Amino acid sequence: MELQPIFIQMLALLLFAIGLATALARRNVFFVLMGIELALNAVNLSFVGFAKTLPAAESVAGQIVPLFSIAVAAAEACVGLALVILIFRNRESVDSDNYSNMKG
Amino acid sequence: MTNLPLWIIPLFPLLGTILLGTVAVVSSGSKKGPSEGFVGALSVLFPALSFVSVVLLAFGMPEEGIRQTLCNWIDIPMLKVNIGFLFDGLSRVMLLFVTGIGSLIALYSIGYMHGDRGFTRFFAYINLFLFSMIVLVLSDSLLLTFLGWEGVGLCSYLLIGFWNHDLNNCKAANKAFIVNRVGDIGFLLGMLCLATLGGSAILNYDALNKFIEMLIAGGHVELATPIIAIAGLLFFVGCTGKSAQIPLLTWLPDAMAGPTPVSALIHAATMVTSGVYLLARLSRMFSVIPEVLMIVLIVGMLTAFWAAVAGLFQNDIKKVLAYSTISQLGYMFMAAGASAYDASIFHVFTHAFFKAALFLGAGAVIHALAGEQDMRRMGGLIKKTPVTACVMIFAFLAIIGFPGFAGFWSKDLILERLYTNAPFGEFFYGVGLLTAVITAVYMGRLIIMTFFGEYRGPKEKEAHIHEAPACMLFPMVILAVGAVFAGYLWADSLGIKFFEGTLAPVVGVAQDFVVGKLAVAHVNPMAFACFGTAAALLGMFIAYAIYGTKRLPRLHAKWGSAPEGFKADWTFFFDYIHSIFIVMFKAAAFVADVFVDKVLQAIQWTIGAIAEIVGDGVSSFQARKVRVQLTLSLVGLVALTAVVLLTGGLF
Repeated sequence: MELQPIFIQMLALLLFAIGLATALARRNVFFVLMGIELALNAVNLSFVGFAKTLPAAESVAGQIVPLFSIAVAAAEACVGLALVILIFRNRESVDSDNYSNMKG
Repeated sequence: MTNLPLWIIPLFPLLGTILLGTVAVVSSGSKKGPSEGFVGALSVLFPALSFVSVVLLAFGMPEEGIRQTLCNWIDIPMLKVNIGFLFDGLSRVMLLFVTGIGSLIALYSIGYMHGDRGFTRFFAYINLFLFSMIVLVLSDSLLLTFLGWEGVGLCSYLLIGFWNHDLNNCKAANKAFIVNRVGDIGFLLGMLCLATLGGSAILNYDALNKFIEMLIAGGHVELATPIIAIAGLLFFVGCTGKSAQIPLLTWLPDAMAGPTPVSALIHAATMVTSGVYLLARLSRMFSVIPEVLMIVLIVGMLTAFWAAVAGLFQNDIKKVLAYSTISQLGYMFMAAGASAYDASIFHVFTHAFFKAALFLGAGAVIHALAGEQDMRRMGGLIKKTPVTACVMIFAFLAIIGFPGFAGFWSKDLILERLYTNAPFGEFFYGVGLLTAVITAVYMGRLIIMTFFGEYRGPKEKEAHIHEAPACMLFPMVILAVGAVFAGYLWADSLGIKFFEGTLAPVVGVAQDFVVGKLAVAHVNPMAFACFGTAAALLGMFIAYAIYGTKRLPRLHAKWGSAPEGFKADWTFFFDYIHSIFIVMFKAAAFVADVFVDKVLQAIQWTIGAIAEIVGDGVSSFQARKVRVQLTLSLVGLVALTAVVLLTGGLF
């Protein structure tokens, strides 16, 4: 069976759903971050998948944008982990439910 | 020699400042300091070179003057100013006596400042002063003049407070600086006023004159008059600050705290006359606003009279001279107010000679008496210091307007012009004549108390009284010669009008514009000369009758020679008014402070409190856990997307 574009999109959707579920369901803040990364990469995959359906001249954008988003994701992971370390030093916990000083 | 560039004139004192300043800084560590001969020679050399270049330029000057633009100074969209120089009849006269008398006084200072700790520093300041003064006089635009104007103010401050180990000197310096600042604001606002009228281009004197001519030719003067009048008034405020006129006259008597050569150079001969110079420079502008000229005239009259009366009651020899300077400046302003700018500048010129001679003479007397300034401890000095006495007596005859001496010609000219040109001329003439009588009285008092009678100081000092050294006497004698003969450049009664001719291209148009409208009464100049002579003689006679025949006031040895304070100073009235103003400003500041502190902060607090309450209310919707928040926002997003998809968009 040939690789249909819809399969790629379905895989992307699946990955995104897993990422989102991880981010929402897990309390460990590292897993939350991992979930977010997964969701991000799902979107990248979706981009590339759509790029494949277009003629070569127009598909460039679909292949370029994920590159940017990967670079940004690297920076984001860097900052995110640094934040987590700082918060951990402060709160002695990686449980995101403990990070609730916004309230009150 | 007309191919000499104009910038060479200010260049020499600037070089002198840099060189002497470097020497002063370098030698500040060493105990002995640099050789006085070396420093003195340098400090006279640069002003003298400047003087020589002025003389060379002055002889080859074409009738309409020399204009040179050195470089671009400010070039931004709204403001284009060049550094340019204008050497015409007016700047020629001013430069000749500024650099000439400056060189002489630098020479004199070598003797006067001998052995002083700040010898080099003093001459660096003097050179900086001459540089600023030359820039002030030579510039071709108001903005560059303002630069020089501030520069001379700074030097005045530095030199009044030269002996800065005494707190009183520092206070006097601060007072001079701050009072001048009030005037400088006037100058600055005046420039802004003009700039609103014709852009920054008309800050140039030539452009300003052309602008006024254009207004007159086009018949638009009435439209522009209100703004020009405000500008004129503001410039006049600037002049009252710099030239110590009512109401900003209080700083000049205090400025006598500086070394005497400084008083002679800055506070008598040159800097204080820059106000008169500015009036003459802007004469074309002032000619279309006769109301402001009337104010100038009245202020000049009040100042001349008030300061002359105040001069009668001073015991400090330098204070007498300070008040007489203010009084003479009042004469100059009166002349300018009567649109007799050439007579006004002529008086500036002759006054520079005889007042510098008087101050240098007073300096020699103080030097001879080892720092004594109180006239009640002087007397009989004509036998001990004959040359100084002769110089001062010549200068005295010049200032009271004794026939043939410099002041006679210039003061008579002013009085004559007052009578013929000014509105209510008879009144102003009468006050001027009365002031001349008082001038003769207080100057006679000074001469009698200092040089005649018997010596009234402490006996042990008497043996040490000595004539000043030659390098001090030489400038004094030159200035005394000037005090005798400077007036012959414009001896109206003798028909010599050289001086009028040199100034005519600059101020002639403005004068004719105002005076041409008047039906000038034809008067015999000899009659004025007779009245003027009579005033001088009467004053001398009164002075002799009061002070010459009786026992003179004697200062008790134990009283000390400190000035007897605030009240006897006769500026107390104006000091009082100033302090009222200061109190008013303080009150306004207090009110503003309370307003900001209480009212505005209350508003701030209210807004802050509202924000806090609203925030508290809204935050109760917030979920405690991050994950729940995230889930809720996702649900919201999904709901929104569903709505948009199902309804096909909200709009």
